[in-house]
Amino acid sequence: MTASVGILAARLGVPADPILAAAFWTGIAALLLTLLLGLEIVRLRMSLRARQRRETRALARWRPILNAAIVGDRPPQLPTLAPAERLHFIKLWVHLQASLRGEASAALNDIAGRLGLHLEARAMLGRRARSERLLAALMLGHLGDRQAWPQLLRLAGMDDPTLSLTALWALVRIDPQAAAEYLTPLFIEREDWAMSHVAGILQQAGRPVAAVLAGMLPRLGAERLPRALRIAEALRVELPAEALASALAASEVAVATAALRIVNTPLLQDAVRARLHDEDWQVRVQAAKALGRIGDRSDVERLVALLADREWWVRYRAAQALVELPWLKRPDLAALHATLEDRYAADMLAQVLAEQDAANAAPDTAPAPETA
Amino acid sequence: MNTHHLLLDFVTWFVLCYFILLNGGYLLLNLLSLRTLRRKGQEEMLDELPRAYSGLEPPVSILVPAYNEEASIAASVRSMLQLTYAEYELVIVNDGSKDGTLEVLKREFGLLPFPEAYRRQIPTKDIRAIYRSTRSPNVRVIDKVNGGKADSLNAGINAARYPLFCGVDADSILQRDSLERVTQPFLRDPSVVATGGTIRIANGCEVAGGFLTKVGLPRNPWALFQVVEYLRAFLFGRLGWSAVNGMLIISGAFGVFRKDAVVSVGGYRSNTIGEDMELIVRLHRLLRARRQHYRIEFVPDPVCWTEAPEDLATLKNQRIRWQRGLAESLNANWGLFFSRNGGVPGWLAFPFMLLFEWLGPLVEMGGYLFMIVSFLMGAISWQAFSTFMFVAIGLGILLSASGLLLEEMSFHIYPRGKQLLALGLVVVLENLGYRQLNTWWRLIGLFRWATQKEASWGAMKRKGSLGT
Repeated sequence: MTASVGILAARLGVPADPILAAAFWTGIAALLLTLLLGLEIVRLRMSLRARQRRETRALARWRPILNAAIVGDRPPQLPTLAPAERLHFIKLWVHLQASLRGEASAALNDIAGRLGLHLEARAMLGRRARSERLLAALMLGHLGDRQAWPQLLRLAGMDDPTLSLTALWALVRIDPQAAAEYLTPLFIEREDWAMSHVAGILQQAGRPVAAVLAGMLPRLGAERLPRALRIAEALRVELPAEALASALAASEVAVATAALRIVNTPLLQDAVRARLHDEDWQVRVQAAKALGRIGDRSDVERLVALLADREWWVRYRAAQALVELPWLKRPDLAALHATLEDRYAADMLAQVLAEQDAANAAPDTAPAPETA
Repeated sequence: MNTHHLLLDFVTWFVLCYFILLNGGYLLLNLLSLRTLRRKGQEEMLDELPRAYSGLEPPVSILVPAYNEEASIAASVRSMLQLTYAEYELVIVNDGSKDGTLEVLKREFGLLPFPEAYRRQIPTKDIRAIYRSTRSPNVRVIDKVNGGKADSLNAGINAARYPLFCGVDADSILQRDSLERVTQPFLRDPSVVATGGTIRIANGCEVAGGFLTKVGLPRNPWALFQVVEYLRAFLFGRLGWSAVNGMLIISGAFGVFRKDAVVSVGGYRSNTIGEDMELIVRLHRLLRARRQHYRIEFVPDPVCWTEAPEDLATLKNQRIRWQRGLAESLNANWGLFFSRNGGVPGWLAFPFMLLFEWLGPLVEMGGYLFMIVSFLMGAISWQAFSTFMFVAIGLGILLSASGLLLEEMSFHIYPRGKQLLALGLVVVLENLGYRQLNTWWRLIGLFRWATQKEASWGAMKRKGSLGT
């Protein structure tokens, strides 16, 4: 055996030296792998082309039918949906649904129902292919398919954030009330779910979520409270003053800033004022902003004092808060500016007044930046 | 066996093992990239759905350092104003340009002096004036004394209003949705401090209104080689390291950063050529030393296109600068190397960079020279020489082919069969001289770093047909 390998190696020109033999075989392996990669690249390109051709054919057949349905032209008979067309059809259907509402959306649901696609989508949810599961969840959400609820709930509990968030979106579409009760705690818990996505999903269930959140707040610990408050802020939920009061007094910076961002009632003025001289500058920033929303005439002096804060953002937000107070007119602000002895305070008020002038000169343009 | 033979054997073994380890390391990174790209491909159709903004997307300050960019700055700014993103501002930093960059900006965007309370968080050269556009309220221009690109970026960071900033080269061509794509990791994970995206070669592409309208391949062979080189560098070089949170570089042409994290480590270092890489290595070093949980991520989407040099002299200068930048970045951050909390960046990525990128040119060029000289002097046989060349070039071709495979699996940017064929040919050809030439330039870069010449803005000779 060893002898025959030796003969074969000699015929192939394999060096006898072990170092060179190792190098030679490494080179051969690289060559073979390169050839394999080349073949794989060609195969991928050919399959891409074939897929694109199938997709073009499917779209050419189904797009006119779906477009007609959207404008209220219900086709009496539908052609058979070939198995090779299914995924392309569902993709097109989901894409159109994403920008439709009301009757047009219902017309597409009708077509999907007549083609039996709710059954197909439920079957797809159980498959291994991730892209098919994502597509199926989107379709079932648009269809409002209640029978898919248990399957979607299982999917929502998965670690994969894309899959779970898509399933959650579908659940909220199917039944906002039930979804709010089941899912709001999950939304607060799962920090790997991006807040912007969470807010986008919950927009459809704003009211039920607000009720659930208000009930949950008193029971939440400092770890979960900031995220819950951020959800309330994103959904523009008005939380009861008593639910917010303890959060405003919290020693944790994250909790206090989240509560200050959302506070919108003069009932909590004193709680906000108490945080104006907090050690943490982020708390002072949010307190200044909050006072701009809910403060009274007595707060002008407090905000003027903050104009000389050591932190740039506190000075900036205090100046903005002053400029936004409805009873301080431009001449009042100019007079205030003239009295400021602190150079940093005067510079900041001058900047914010100039920003206001620029915004007034271009009324249809974007508002001043919002950050800290 | 005499000493001469022993030495010869040792060097031969060393060089061969080095080449095999180098390419094997890259192939491992390739496997890591494969997984990420597969998952990304499965989510492709979600990207195609109409997008609605929730209002919670973090606003971004785009920082555009500009030095003598009068010919292209207006078109660049206009195209950046058309990016699709919920909220962003443009901060253009005129770094004491000697041409009419500032005048062009004043004229095109109706700039007026603005009494801004400039916040000096990071020391920079003096600010002469701050302007605000009367036509686009989200455009500001900082006019400052010349201090280099890093100094300009620091001035931009000081003036930035938003929690994220995006450093962009003034001549970069951005995809319209580039910000949306590159900020995704920040939305998903609050511990993300920096992200970068794939940079592609714009030579041979059609550009209109500051945006890429048609993808093509360049006719110029140097630019063509760089197309494959960029595929390799981004699709598995960076993506592979990103998968294990060990990415040590985000291209200065386009990268998004969490401002407070960058300020906390002191901003960009202004006395270095490779300020982009140095910042990332320093972020790793200092955040790890603080035991802070963080991530630096790579988004494989092609988000930014750049014009590659088409003449040998400019290309050579660019590569020399890159190698110097790499050497400076590693040298300034030895504290990360096998540090107690170094993790993947300190125990894998830094040593890898040191061994294969920093010392690479020395060993590679030394290896080639050793083999050629030994062969010519009769110290090694033709068989040994040809075997060495076979394995060195063969592994190089394998790596380039795997870059092309990743591209075909994920983005298939080049739609025509002819383009694929051309790239296939380049995959082979670039290993027959171009890579060796690159190694030589990098060796010069290493030498220049060792002799420590001062850094300044890099003069890039471009065709300039893309920016307008």
